[in-house]
Amino acid sequence: MLELNGDTLKFTFPEIHPDAELTITFVRTLRIPDDDKTYPLPPGLGTFPLQHVDDHRERVPAKWLDHGGVMLPMYQAEALWIKFSSKNIPKRRTRYPFAVKIGTGKISAITGDEWVKVMTEDDYCVVPEQPWIDGYAVDDDQVRQFVAAPLGAGFTAEEQLTGKADHGGIQIEVYPMDFLTFDKKFPKIKPREVKTSGGVTRGGGFAAPGVYASTLCLSDSMENERGVSAEMGIGAGGKMKQEIFKDPHGMEVWQRSQRARCFVHLANSMAWEAITQKKAPTTPVTASVYTRQGYPWFDYYDESQEALGGTDKLKGLKSIMELGFQKGMPMLPENESVDPSDQVFVIKGTVGEVRVGAW
Amino acid sequence: MSKFGDHIRARRTALGAESPQYGLRKVASRAGISPTYLSHLESGKTKPPSEEVIEALARELGENLDVLMALAGKISPRLVEIISKRPELFASVIEQFADLADHAIVRVVREVRDGEW
Repeated sequence: MLELNGDTLKFTFPEIHPDAELTITFVRTLRIPDDDKTYPLPPGLGTFPLQHVDDHRERVPAKWLDHGGVMLPMYQAEALWIKFSSKNIPKRRTRYPFAVKIGTGKISAITGDEWVKVMTEDDYCVVPEQPWIDGYAVDDDQVRQFVAAPLGAGFTAEEQLTGKADHGGIQIEVYPMDFLTFDKKFPKIKPREVKTSGGVTRGGGFAAPGVYASTLCLSDSMENERGVSAEMGIGAGGKMKQEIFKDPHGMEVWQRSQRARCFVHLANSMAWEAITQKKAPTTPVTASVYTRQGYPWFDYYDESQEALGGTDKLKGLKSIMELGFQKGMPMLPENESVDPSDQVFVIKGTVGEVRVGAW
Repeated sequence: MSKFGDHIRARRTALGAESPQYGLRKVASRAGISPTYLSHLESGKTKPPSEEVIEALARELGENLDVLMALAGKISPRLVEIISKRPELFASVIEQFADLADHAIVRVVREVRDGEW
């Protein structure tokens, strides 16, 4: 079952386990520069608002109603990351495990293949091992950041890999672990051994004035001159260090009959305001302003996990910057390189620790 | 004795049984109030606090803000906004539910509709 809880997608599977609960949020962040460097993880700067497409039947494109699901507003060239959080179950010293497929424009962000309605080997990530995903898996320890581009102008991963602009948006499909496997892998422990786990956090709390400066997007007039639709898709931005971890459990543990899925539509921020009569959030700060202020960047590592390699399709994915250069259309303003190496906050993966009860 | 205070204390002690992070002092400090004030709130020696404090307590104790506000005799701004959009409809809905037993009121869960794609 999927509910929208404020700005959070809440997937629950009460028929499998009362605590089989996964929440997903779309996190606002700065766009990392697209240059020859590999950046650490940028911060979280709040969540994107989400709304049911059904609540705006008269104003959204008919195709969105066919898809169902939700929508969120993005500025052109704005970046996002996707945060996964599954419910902590102290009595079993784990968070409920889920497999999650992620696509943009119905292209898998993990394999680059076209979306299929089933789970296939290594085309998904596993929660709680994977706390977030920031982009397309282009190497075993690198992703290219998810960055919004108008659908139809040729900059999205979908258009690059399929030659069409049919879908746009972000697709999510969630599979819970089968209960019998869960019960065997994570048996109940004695109450005196129960410890609560803090989960992993990244960013937030330091959003000082000025962090939400409105300096990022292309002017809307440029967009209108090109006659591009109000609908956004996702393309590839700069490189950052992030691993997409391989499934440590094996494909057979996932309850494939009980999946739940959601189509997340991306409305250009101007269109969002016309559709919902509500202001879209202002654009986040640029990487250079943020870094100059001395705010934290992040690095996440978990030695106990093996990373997926990144497929040839995604390795060959051209970034929005590169495509813009080829087309003679400068797509990413404010792409100044930054050096955040002295302000990287290291987060060690906590999954293994929770399991062995080391804290 | 206050419903608000009893509720806060019950919730805090229940969490405290699982983690040392829910002692009076620790919760008060995270919520930005003094331990004495929290103790008085819990025992009903003082009036329910400001919305800001209720919000902080809801956050620290993982409680529903609307519920804590109602226990403190207030209506959360979010609920006010919802009701004021369709005041007649919600007034009649709330009146209809006023005397029903808890088990007769089922929470309405709205699912995100999935379509064809």
